[in-house]
Amino acid sequence: MRVMVLMPADKNSEAGVLPDEKLIAGMVKYNEDLVRAGVMLAGEGLQPSSKGARVRFSGEERSVIDGPFTEAKELIAGYWLWQVKSLDEAIEWVKRLPDYLAREGWTPPKDYEGDFEIEIRPVFETTEFAAELSPELREKVTEQEERIRAQAAKVKS
Amino acid sequence: MRFMVLMVKADKDSEAGVLPDQKFLTEMGKYNEELVKAGVILAGERLHPSSKGARVRFSGEKRTVIDGPFIEAKELIAGFWLWQVKSKEEAIEWIKRSPFREGEVEIRQVFEAEDFGRELTPEFREQMTEQETRSRAQASAKLKS
Repeated sequence: MRVMVLMPADKNSEAGVLPDEKLIAGMVKYNEDLVRAGVMLAGEGLQPSSKGARVRFSGEERSVIDGPFTEAKELIAGYWLWQVKSLDEAIEWVKRLPDYLAREGWTPPKDYEGDFEIEIRPVFETTEFAAELSPELREKVTEQEERIRAQAAKVKS
Repeated sequence: MRFMVLMVKADKDSEAGVLPDQKFLTEMGKYNEELVKAGVILAGERLHPSSKGARVRFSGEKRTVIDGPFIEAKELIAGFWLWQVKSKEEAIEWIKRSPFREGEVEIRQVFEAEDFGRELTPEFREQMTEQETRSRAQASAKLKS
């Protein structure tokens, strides 16, 4: 199964503070082990919400709200997409993250009080949609996925 | 530049695990087709209800696992796209054309290697690029299987 792992935003990520060398070192080692274990499929960090926007839908109406969005606890600062055998395997990987950071000597900033939570959410596979999709639509979705992958490879190379 | 487009307001249906109807799926298929043709879309996934997920809370040395569903007022993500566009405005224009009739979408700029400072040494950068390549190969192999 594939899961999306969501990293919460905090005061620093929302202030646009870039990660220091120790944090980067810990993350690179963690990612390395994820890649080696065949778990890692994708991962991105997000800029502060001040650089973003929200669009609200109500029938035909669309309203645009510019960032920042103040409820930092509900914002995400990054995500991974993982291939795992079970939710428990994903939980075990998530639990290990702070150890990697600690090993590189990273400590949370002084103003970093309180807890933080990482959310793990299973991702839908096209096969799980199968019953709802007509054969034409299913074929189209699969074909779109191929072209999306080709596009992603082109942008990153 | 790349933007992540998040469906940030999971509705009752997505949390109940109810799949969208054929009409909406058809409209969404057409919309995705436009995005693909324009070279905008790089990835897109829909998430299972939070009842199938979990959270891990970190508090000092303590790690607590909390099983879903997450019923508190917190916003729940129901899905996302990753888009390649020229500006935030272009992303907003695209999302306005989506078939959504309710809910809210959040548009967030994605970090590129060049957005990092000196902390990202050449060695780290090289390692990260190389990890990305291997992750992509892994994702591609997975989808083909």
